Amino acid sequence: MTVAHSRPPVTPGGSRAWRATALSGVAVLALVTVHMVAHHFVVQSVGGLRSYRQVLEYIGNPVIFVIESLFLVVVTWHAMLGLRSVLFDLGLSETSRRRASRALAGLGVATVAYGFALIGILASRS
Amino acid sequence: MDTATLPEPATTTRTLRVSRFSRDGRPPRFEEFEVPVTEGTTVLEALRWIRVHRDAALGLRHSCFHASCGTCGMRVNGREVLACVTDVASLGQGPVTIEPIANLPLLQDLVVDMASFYARFPLPPPLVRTSELVSASELPEGIDAHERFEDCIECGLCLSACPVVATDETYVGPAALAYAQRLLEEDRGADRAAILSWADDDNAAWRCHAAFECTEACPSDVRPAERIMALRRELVLHRETVR
Amino acid sequence: MNPNDLDAIRDARRAPGPVLRKAPGPVAWFDVRRRRAGSVAFSISRLAGLGLVFYLYLHLAVLSLLLRGPGAWGSFLRVATTPALLGMDVLLLFGLLVHGLNGLRVALIGTGVAPDRQKALLWTVMTVAAILLLYGALHILGSR
Repeated sequence: MTVAHSRPPVTPGGSRAWRATALSGVAVLALVTVHMVAHHFVVQSVGGLRSYRQVLEYIGNPVIFVIESLFLVVVTWHAMLGLRSVLFDLGLSETSRRRASRALAGLGVATVAYGFALIGILASRS
Repeated sequence: MDTATLPEPATTTRTLRVSRFSRDGRPPRFEEFEVPVTEGTTVLEALRWIRVHRDAALGLRHSCFHASCGTCGMRVNGREVLACVTDVASLGQGPVTIEPIANLPLLQDLVVDMASFYARFPLPPPLVRTSELVSASELPEGIDAHERFEDCIECGLCLSACPVVATDETYVGPAALAYAQRLLEEDRGADRAAILSWADDDNAAWRCHAAFECTEACPSDVRPAERIMALRRELVLHRETVR
Repeated sequence: MNPNDLDAIRDARRAPGPVLRKAPGPVAWFDVRRRRAGSVAFSISRLAGLGLVFYLYLHLAVLSLLLRGPGAWGSFLRVATTPALLGMDVLLLFGLLVHGLNGLRVALIGTGVAPDRQKALLWTVMTVAAILLLYGALHILGSR
């Protein structure tokens, strides 16, 4: 039986996805800590959950608005990269991998867009 | 002490459940054998006893009997081991389940097709250890292209243990990546850029999910997982020279 | 062989006969039978990650209730402050801690920082996660 030796890179640049996942993961860890503390450990209520008025006051703060927006972008980015990693382990063909990457990028953009719209509307009501 | 007066080790009988497969269209199945073992009986010795006394058709590979050749790699009670150095007595009291290593095509019983293992390596398959080359003799031309690094005995246990290889066979696997990192570390004049380029791939260094099963399974202290991480560090630090 | 043809690569690695795996291909990473701590951590972390992706979209859907005004949000809060859903919050915290802290470990060792200490790092992050989870659970459940 002819032994075929391993080939040159098939999906080059895998380091970009890894570095992005690692960096976004570290950022998410920091931001989710802020997010969880703010939404479960600050307000004196059951579960630390905020009322409608309290949510609008919270998101109306410009600093909070920026932090939560950044959180939305980073967590969505990290989530899409994670899903990409899971999908790539399913034995997809090269074409399917490219399609999956594009689909996840689109899903990520749509998610962030919706989230921004949501935050923006709520901030405008505060 | 007069060895003639040493007591004979006690013999017990253990049940071995051995995976059988013969490419006759039937799926692999288990067959049980009652095997007499003593305190120092290895799994390989028990399997050879089966072949001599019960079924001469039992297919298995072995060679050196001392964990040097890597040929007798198999899964015993779900764990990847070299059968020649695994004592039956160390495997608890119940039946001992013996299967071929995973993630490689099955040829017969406990024998797998290692061509797929070697197909993952970035260069011509490593065959010869430097220490095996006799300096006084005239070496064949091009022999250094087939030199392998010292620790890996190419047993395939790491590939068998890897949960990522189990999921997708396009992942090159721990042995090939560890080999690539060793080529960089030993600096035998290999083309560093080509090796790093080969490793910088979604099917290569970046596919590892750090489960470390390969390091746990390796009988030769290659530590493939640690080498993969070192390879990644090399890629991160020198990515500008790779691409 | 076309170096960009994954199908050809797979064919080159196949031979007649079955390939025994510890679990069928796509879910093999999920099978933790006879696996060691590093593998179990990977599997749990990945499961937690998938759960968190699901939660991301659930969370956006829930937050959309805010657009309907205080009435809709108040109705949600009445449900969200029941013991069952507070328990789900604790599960969320568990997922965040396991995925986040193990992810930190993987990010470190994956870039070549102390890979030979990966087991010690694993037990350290899991201990920290357990402590934080206990504190968080007591706070969330005890606020009722």
